[in-house]
Amino acid sequence: MIWRLSGLAALVAVVELLPRLGVVSPDYLPPASGIAAALGREAATAPFWAAVGDTLVAWAAGLAVAIAAGVAAGLLIGSIPVLRAWTASTIEFLRPIPSVALIPLAVLLYGTGLGSSLLLIVYAAFWQVLVQVLSGVADVDPVADETARSFRLGPWARVRHVLWPTALPYVFTGIRLAAAVALVLAVTAELVIGSPGLGAVIAVAQSSGAVPVMYAMIVVTGILGVLINVGARLAERKVLAWHQSVRGEVAL
Amino acid sequence: MRRIIAGIAALALTATGAGCGSSGGGGTTTENGVDQVKVGVIPIVDVAPIYLGQQKGFFASRKIELTMESGQGGAAIVPGVVSGQFQFGFSNITSLLVAQTKNVPVKIVANGVASTGAAGKDFGGVAVRKDSPITKAADLAGKKIAVNTLKNIGDTTVRESVRKAGGDPSGISFVEMPFANMPAAVEQGQVDAAWVVEPSLSAITGAGGRVVAWNYVDAAPDLTVAAYFASTKLVGEKADLVKRFTEAINESLTYADAHPDEVRAVLGTYTKIDEKARAALTLPQWPAQINIASVGTLAELGVRDGIFDGATPDPAKILP
Repeated sequence: MIWRLSGLAALVAVVELLPRLGVVSPDYLPPASGIAAALGREAATAPFWAAVGDTLVAWAAGLAVAIAAGVAAGLLIGSIPVLRAWTASTIEFLRPIPSVALIPLAVLLYGTGLGSSLLLIVYAAFWQVLVQVLSGVADVDPVADETARSFRLGPWARVRHVLWPTALPYVFTGIRLAAAVALVLAVTAELVIGSPGLGAVIAVAQSSGAVPVMYAMIVVTGILGVLINVGARLAERKVLAWHQSVRGEVAL
Repeated sequence: MRRIIAGIAALALTATGAGCGSSGGGGTTTENGVDQVKVGVIPIVDVAPIYLGQQKGFFASRKIELTMESGQGGAAIVPGVVSGQFQFGFSNITSLLVAQTKNVPVKIVANGVASTGAAGKDFGGVAVRKDSPITKAADLAGKKIAVNTLKNIGDTTVRESVRKAGGDPSGISFVEMPFANMPAAVEQGQVDAAWVVEPSLSAITGAGGRVVAWNYVDAAPDLTVAAYFASTKLVGEKADLVKRFTEAINESLTYADAHPDEVRAVLGTYTKIDEKARAALTLPQWPAQINIASVGTLAELGVRDGIFDGATPDPAKILP
C-alpha cells in the first residue's frame, strides 16, 4: 500500500517541481501546491459542491438507466437465439459509434440541460452492460441448463437459478466499465455542451484564465473516478462473495 | 444482409418515435404574471450588466425571471433563440449580420456591449510578444494572427486596422483558437499576434506583451460590438415581454456603466477571473443606445472581406 502511494507522491512532486524549476511556465501548469490551494478555496464554496452534485446526479441517473436497459435487453436478446442472430449486426454497427458524435443531436433534442448529458451517458454505458450480459448469457453451462430442464424448471425459474448466477459476474464487469465510461461522458457533456456540473466549471475557469482552478477541477474529476472504481469493486466483492473469481479458490 | 437492413430499420423506427420532443417557443408565464425567460449568453466580461441587473432586481421589478444559459459557445446561441430554447440571446453584430444574409429570423432588442472608442484603453486589441519585431498595425500584413472565430468580427476589424495603417491585409493568415489559449500561443510563438479581449488581453500585457492595434477603435468610433436579440416570432407575439426585457437591459447597461466596481464584483459570480485580474482589466462601455452607424460599417467591412459569402446584409432588417 505504501509502495503504491509513493508512486502518487512522486507524481505530485514532479508537478510541484516542473513549474518551480522553470521547465514549464507556472502560468500554464501551476505547482501542485498552487492547485491544492485553489482546490481548498473552491471546496469552501457552495457552487463547487453544487457542481459536484450536478455531475454525480447525471452520472448516477445515466448509469442506472443504462444498467436497467442493458441487463433487461441482454437477458432477453441473449436467451432467444433468433433475436440474438437478428440483432447482432445492428449491435455491432451501433456500439462503435462514439457517444460524443451524438452531441449535436443531444443539443437539438434537449438543449443544454440534464437531458443532453443523460443521452450521451446512457448511450455510451448501455453497450458496455449489454455486451457483457450477452457474453454472460452465452456462458451458461449446457449441462446445467439441461439438468434444469429435466427437472421441469420453467423459463422464469431457469433464468433465476441458472442464467442469472452465471451472468452475474459478467454483469458486474459491465457495470464497472459502464460506471467509468459514464463519468467520462458526464464531464464531456458538461465541458462541450455546457450542462451544469464540473465540466462546465472547467470550461469557465479556462475562459477566465483561472489556470489553478481549472487544474483543481480536473483533479476533482480524477478523484471521483477513483472513488467510483473503488466503490464498484467493493460492491462486486460483496454481491459475488460466493463466486470463485472473488473467493479465489480453485474450482474442482 | 436482409437481417442487417431489417435490424437497422427497426432501430430507426424507434429512434424517430423517441425523437419528437421539442421545446416551446415563448417561455412560460406563471400565475402571477411573471415571465420565466432563458437568455443564451457566453460567460465573458461583456455580459456583466445582465448578471448585475438580475442582482439589482431590474428584471424582477418588470416581472421577468431570468435564467442565464451559458456554455455551448456563441455559435449555438442564434439557433437556440430561433428554435425557442432561449427567448433572448447575446451575439456579436457580425454574427447577427451573417444570420440576416441567411434569412434567419432574428431581431436586435437591446444594445449589448460597445468599444470604449479610446486607443490604448479598449477591452480588445491585437497583441504581440514583448520581443516581437511588429511595432505597429501596418507590420501585421502577411503575419499569422489568432482570432477566436474565423470569418467574423475579429478578422474583419483587424483587417481594417491594417488597411487604415497603410498595410495590405490580403496576406494575413488567421488561425482560430479560444481567447484563453492565446496568451500561451503568443508567448510560445505559435502565432505572430493575437486578437484578444479581456481578461486574456491583460494576461498578455501583464507578461510584457504589447498591443499593436486597437481594431475595435479603428473599425468605427464607439463601435457597437454585440447586442441582445430575439426571434422575430417572439418580437411579434410577445411584444410586451420584449418591451419589458429591453427596458430592464437598458437600465442594467446604464447602471453597469456608472458602477464599474460593482461590475468587477459581479464578474466573480459567473466567471473564475481572480480578484487581481478583475481589478486590473479594462472594462468595455455599456451605452443603452446602439450605434447604428457602426453596424452599417461592420456590414460594409464584412462585404469587403467576404464574410457574407457574396451576400449583402441589410442592417435595417435586424435593427429594432
